[in-house]
Amino acid sequence: MVRLDIQGMGSREVNRKIKELIRTEKDIEVNNTHSIHNFATALKGDGKITLNGSTGFYTGGFLEGPTIVIKGNTGWYTGDNMSAGEIIVEMNTGSNAGPSMVGGTIVVRGNSGSRCGWGMKNGNLIVCGNVGRWTGKMTLGGRIVVLGEVGEGVGESMYDGVIHVLDPAVEDKLGGNVRVVSIEDGEKKALEALFNKYGIEQDVTAFRSIVPRVYGRHDYIIFNPTHKQRVDA
Amino acid sequence: MASEDVKTKKKEKVPRVKDVQRGVWSKEALEEIRYKAAVGKHRIRGCGTPQRFPNFDDLMVLPSQLTRMSIDTYREDCKTQTVLGLRYARKPLVIETPIMISGMSYGALSKEAKIALARATDIVGTSINNGEGGLLPEERDNSYKQVVQILPSRIGFSLRNIEAADALEIIVGIGAKPGLSGHLMASKITKEIAAFRQLPEGIDLHSHPRHGDIFGADDLCLKMEEMRDVTDGEIPIFLKIAAGRVWEDVKIAVKAEVDGIVIDGTEAGTGAAPVVASNNLGIPTLPALVQATRALEDMGVKEEISLIVSGGIKDGADVAKAIALGADAVAIGTGAMVAMGCTVCLRCQDGRCAFGIGTQDPKLRKNLDIEKAARQVANYIQAMTNEAVIIAKAAGKTKLHSLEREDLRSMTLEACAMTGIPLIGSNYTFGEQFGFC
Repeated sequence: MVRLDIQGMGSREVNRKIKELIRTEKDIEVNNTHSIHNFATALKGDGKITLNGSTGFYTGGFLEGPTIVIKGNTGWYTGDNMSAGEIIVEMNTGSNAGPSMVGGTIVVRGNSGSRCGWGMKNGNLIVCGNVGRWTGKMTLGGRIVVLGEVGEGVGESMYDGVIHVLDPAVEDKLGGNVRVVSIEDGEKKALEALFNKYGIEQDVTAFRSIVPRVYGRHDYIIFNPTHKQRVDA
Repeated sequence: MASEDVKTKKKEKVPRVKDVQRGVWSKEALEEIRYKAAVGKHRIRGCGTPQRFPNFDDLMVLPSQLTRMSIDTYREDCKTQTVLGLRYARKPLVIETPIMISGMSYGALSKEAKIALARATDIVGTSINNGEGGLLPEERDNSYKQVVQILPSRIGFSLRNIEAADALEIIVGIGAKPGLSGHLMASKITKEIAAFRQLPEGIDLHSHPRHGDIFGADDLCLKMEEMRDVTDGEIPIFLKIAAGRVWEDVKIAVKAEVDGIVIDGTEAGTGAAPVVASNNLGIPTLPALVQATRALEDMGVKEEISLIVSGGIKDGADVAKAIALGADAVAIGTGAMVAMGCTVCLRCQDGRCAFGIGTQDPKLRKNLDIEKAARQVANYIQAMTNEAVIIAKAAGKTKLHSLEREDLRSMTLEACAMTGIPLIGSNYTFGEQFGFC
């Protein structure tokens, strides 16, 4: 293992050093992270980077291979546009975790803010705690798993993909154009594999799935009068 | 007078009711009302707005006579090479003409049309922009310089796209439907397009109106840092904004440390947009460009940041006047499609383009001859560049980019007030002046 102290460094300097290190070192520990933004941008290859602290916005953006373990919190946009590799956040993330990710896995041990998995295309996003509103908004693929409560508007206008939830009140919080269905056997197996890999103790049979309501054209309500008509239509 | 003649004369004097002009109740307005009454929703249409706005035709260029010497049109040089993105990027975008091809997606356009446009850029030495939905390998293989867009939807987008780019363009909005998302109707989402964009087949796609990873100007600053990391600071990063609050938006973009700003006026085209959006949102290209130039000058960065303008650019005179008003380059979309055969029928959204341009129908796509279309687009850009050079030389310039606003005069009070360019035959401006006293 090699240790890297990033005290006082800017993100570009840090990223340059990490890109150099990961060519030869497969286990890197980073200290004095001080909520740095843009940590490990566009990092390729394999290897593991463990951060003893929290990070700011855009952690692991465009990640393509390595595993990043953050022993703290991350800010907004964790794993934006990532295509491969793993980001494991031991505590919480800010909003918009995994936006437009096209592959790889994000595991959040704590809670995540609103709009996690926004526009996600593929990969896995697992939140062990609660999530805010509009989780999985306009996803085009991939798998989101939420073990805690979901916020309002979950799955709004999903085009494809699936959100597995345990929240018993999910029907009251659904976004437009989605529906709740039973989890399929194949999905259970996939979840079991993920949970085993990341040490998550949870019975997969209890999950339900949120999927696009109509596979194809969406209905949108732009004008939604709430008054009572004098004559019933 | 014969009775027959009297009858005829009387008929001529009485206007027929059906011929009476009805003010706002034009045929189009009536048709729109009937459509809404029947279906209860807004209409979607292609090509952008058909409305007439103040434009570059409302300006004239002052020729050189005794106050300055003209440059020989046919025998002396006038440089057209254009360098964009010099602010921070180590490898700026260098093109041979200030006319770029703007972002039009594979999906809105056929593969054949995209390849033809790409080949045209290789012939004349300019850039193409991939538009939404990913980068077609054939486009990259055939283009001279490739601009890659980073759109809110990130459909078909990956690190590979960035690695293939000569410049990046982060899209905040487009002129034809500012504040709205991309629309790609089901008729164009074929199996091939669905696979390319990683979309379900046959959906009506209303893509993301905001970036999922840029929720405000502060985030944009951080995002720009991230993109510099991703590109290692090599290639320019532009920001495209639809013309609206241009003065303020440009200043925010400057603070976010972009290399260039693309201003897309309301005349800009699109594959599909709500008619109400195209006709009513945004401001025209002409005053938008003036506001952008003013903002950059106000911040003292006009020479650092490239300014690209698009929306309704149709000929070399527009190019010359845009440069005189502060643009470093222009981007064309509709004009390039017309050069390939498009008739601006306003029905791009149907996907039934008989010319094989705005369609994914395999039969219709065969109607576009790639080589011929590429040659026509190249000819068009070449001719436009020639026209711009003719004007520049007549105004006494040995570089196209030496055109300046002092070379311009406004034809109309409206253009004068919008641009701050003095009214023709005077040195007076009505409204805020634009560098004149």
